[in-house]
Amino acid sequence: MKSLSIRNLSKTYFDPYAGKHVTAVQDVSIEVPEGEFVSIVGPSGCGKTTILNMVAGFLPVSGGEIVVDGRAVSGPGPDRGVVFQSHALFPWKTVLENVAFGPKMRGVGPKEREAIARDYLALAGLSHAADRYPNELSGGMQQRVGVVRALANEPAVLLMDEPFASVDAQTRMTLQEELTRIWQERRPTIIFITHDVPEAVFLANRVVVLSKGRVLEEVEIDLPRPRSWETLIEDERFKTLSSRVLQLVRSA
Amino acid sequence: MSAVGNIGAGRSAASERVRAAFSFLLPLFVLLVVWEATVRIFDVHPGIFPGVGPVLRAGAESVANGTLFLHIAASFGRVLTGTTLAILVGVPLGILMGVSPGVSTVLTPLFRFFSVLAGIAWIPIATLWFGYGFGAITFVIFNAVFFVVAYNTLLGVSGIPHALRNAAWSLGADRKTMLFEVLLPGALPNIVTGIRTGLGFAWRGLIAAEMIATNMGLGYMLFLARDFYRTELIVFGMVVIGILWLLIDRLILAPLERRTIERWGLVR
Ligand SMILES: Nc1ncnc2c1ncn2[C@@H]1O[C@H](COP(=O)(O)OP(=O)(O)O)[C@@H](O)[C@H]1O
Ligand SMILES: [Mg+2]
Repeated sequence: MKSLSIRNLSKTYFDPYAGKHVTAVQDVSIEVPEGEFVSIVGPSGCGKTTILNMVAGFLPVSGGEIVVDGRAVSGPGPDRGVVFQSHALFPWKTVLENVAFGPKMRGVGPKEREAIARDYLALAGLSHAADRYPNELSGGMQQRVGVVRALANEPAVLLMDEPFASVDAQTRMTLQEELTRIWQERRPTIIFITHDVPEAVFLANRVVVLSKGRVLEEVEIDLPRPRSWETLIEDERFKTLSSRVLQLVRSA
Repeated sequence: MSAVGNIGAGRSAASERVRAAFSFLLPLFVLLVVWEATVRIFDVHPGIFPGVGPVLRAGAESVANGTLFLHIAASFGRVLTGTTLAILVGVPLGILMGVSPGVSTVLTPLFRFFSVLAGIAWIPIATLWFGYGFGAITFVIFNAVFFVVAYNTLLGVSGIPHALRNAAWSLGADRKTMLFEVLLPGALPNIVTGIRTGLGFAWRGLIAAEMIATNMGLGYMLFLARDFYRTELIVFGMVVIGILWLLIDRLILAPLERRTIERWGLVR
């Protein structure tokens, strides 16, 4: 797993209804060293998805550059794994085939990529679902498979755009705990986008607060790991950090 | 416990199917009764419309002397050829339109226009181009299936959620993988729907074309019987045409369509 630099990134959209250009992202710079977990948080419409889509290579940049593992990137590539809010699993492939898709694209043979896929499915407690189709899974399991599919391709960085926003609150907490556990075991470099302040604080080493397309402030999250909701929910430091980030977001 | 449940479920599914078949066949049976009663009560001349008996006898005769099967085989051969060609050309073109906004912008108005004309309207010009026979009729079928299949493929490709394509790219997919593992399977339910709809047009077009442009096939069978004033054979031919289509549609196309949609959970 490698590092990611976002340098002076900007994005201007043309709004056909207003008939003018609107700036969605302006001069954003974020450093994510190897193995770090960074959350980007901000109110709806502040440009989070736009940033992530540019880093993923789905959207051309209007200015600035994105450097992964020392190389400037443009266009999508397997060095940046993406976890989507809408799971985006291939409905016509089984869970196992979905997870093995990335290794297959890398040219890994059938036996070996199945072993890789099974290993990662086991990591997320999904071994029993290997032969099922995505539409046979619950929303929470679909999101787990989405995370596992991205991880199994061993990307330099993992990009996650509100991946837990559409599951119920109970499942969301479980998924958050699982993600911190997987992060500790494998130490992937992660950018995690959310509008949910406790989620951002719970997961990350560092929270970047975004406001109107600009970085407002960065907050270090020096909470000990492993983290679980059971202990953190009453933790004074967690409360202090959360309310600090919340104030920033609300002032945004 | 669960085994018992499954057997129960299997049984109720089977009885559900019997009930569905029954409710489908009952009106047809009623029609048969009304038909026979009308002919008898009003003493309709057999040359205008025959009773059930003469029609069945004419049918038995054409089965016995083998002509019915020759006609059916000829018709099926043309449908199969025309449809296969239409799928081979229509699906790739539909996909090209689906991935290239430029191609789609240019071709979509043309497709709208030609979909209206698809099938029967092409018979006269088809006979000018291909003469009377296999070529002209196959062309009419091709024409009926091609536009619908291509247009449905386009719809299928543009209906694939953008996140799926993005997911494939960011997992390292190349163009070939994108085509065979994302676009084609993603569009398949629409493609099957297109084939089903197109074949419906093709079947009607086939009968019309065979009346004009050949000396074999179900349409020709009707046409020939008319020349000999064999009303009962005409009616029998019409019944065969209707039943054959129902069988093709209900036993092959509809289950195929349902299967592709259900299997992949692609509810649109
Ligand atoms: N394709 C687009 N065309 C024009 N404006 C867009 C487009 N996508 C996003 N925007 C605008 O850019 C801003 C940021 O959007 P987005 O990145 O989706 O925010 P977030 O993910 O933080 O909710 C919003 O004001 C939105 O209306
Ligand atoms: Mg967003």
